[in-house]
Amino acid sequence: MRQNFVLQKWAVWPPLHADREQELAIQNALLAKVPALLKRRLTPLAKTVFCAAHQCLDDSRFVPMVFSSSHGELAKSFGMMERLAAGEEISPTAFSLSVHNAIAGLLSMAWGNQQQCTVVAPGEEGLAAGFIEALGLLQEGAGRVLLVFYDEPLVGFYPAAPFKLSTAKRCALALGLAKTGDGQAMALSSLPMSGDDGEQPVQLETFIRFLVGPQPRLTLKTPRHSWHWEKNVQAD
Amino acid sequence: MSDLENELKQLIIESLDLEDTSVDGIDSQEALFNEGLGLDSIDALELGLAIRKKYNVRIDAEKDDVVKIFASVAALAEFIESERN
Repeated sequence: MRQNFVLQKWAVWPPLHADREQELAIQNALLAKVPALLKRRLTPLAKTVFCAAHQCLDDSRFVPMVFSSSHGELAKSFGMMERLAAGEEISPTAFSLSVHNAIAGLLSMAWGNQQQCTVVAPGEEGLAAGFIEALGLLQEGAGRVLLVFYDEPLVGFYPAAPFKLSTAKRCALALGLAKTGDGQAMALSSLPMSGDDGEQPVQLETFIRFLVGPQPRLTLKTPRHSWHWEKNVQAD
Repeated sequence: MSDLENELKQLIIESLDLEDTSVDGIDSQEALFNEGLGLDSIDALELGLAIRKKYNVRIDAEKDDVVKIFASVAALAEFIESERN
């Protein structure tokens, strides 16, 4: 498979070059318009997603959205399991915020966005699953799709080694994708070779370096495929 | 205003993370849900749990008139009083 697309805009949170103080100041500004009753429900991971997504917005907030996260709010689920094990009752709010589409739901509510929204947990394939979902929507006729990858470090209880599925940093990357038009012309293809470049949290750091850096191509190998991104592709 | 009403307001603020709201900012007669304070159905469940823990009073969605009980702080206080007596 090979799919061309245009990267209109992208944003990462936390910022690549800002100290903690600057970061908090920008975060407060980005979240200023979120209604107080919604803002109280934002976990640190949700704030990270909101900040990346907000910076990627153009004139319209009403776009189909695809989210991809390996672990989602697993820390919240784990906290609830510990409470259950201790014989305590669990918080309905905590439960509602622990599900895999919780952050997507909060963002749709904050933006009043009633367009379709998909949240994937990509497992071994990593970033490619979210891209395939988003490119599929473009193929079906969506003018623009907002694709957001996010993850935070896995709770210590779960064995991260020897698997490459967790990093030390909480991070979100938002991408505004279109089929044609202004922006960075890119292509995604799959290749038959396989390997192990890690799951989404690990791939995400590599992919951000690829976006920032000068290299024209990036290949990420997974146990079943490898995925190949190219920049500066000639339009169809 | 009764002590119980004040206590309930504090419980609402703490259990529902309403950091920007003060006890004085909640009117005992004001609607808690939708209009008024603007709480939602998840808040209703959370508040029900907090009330069960603190007062050992169980609100039964099958038996009790939940809409009436959760209408305002005053209504909630009245229900808890009657259940405790």
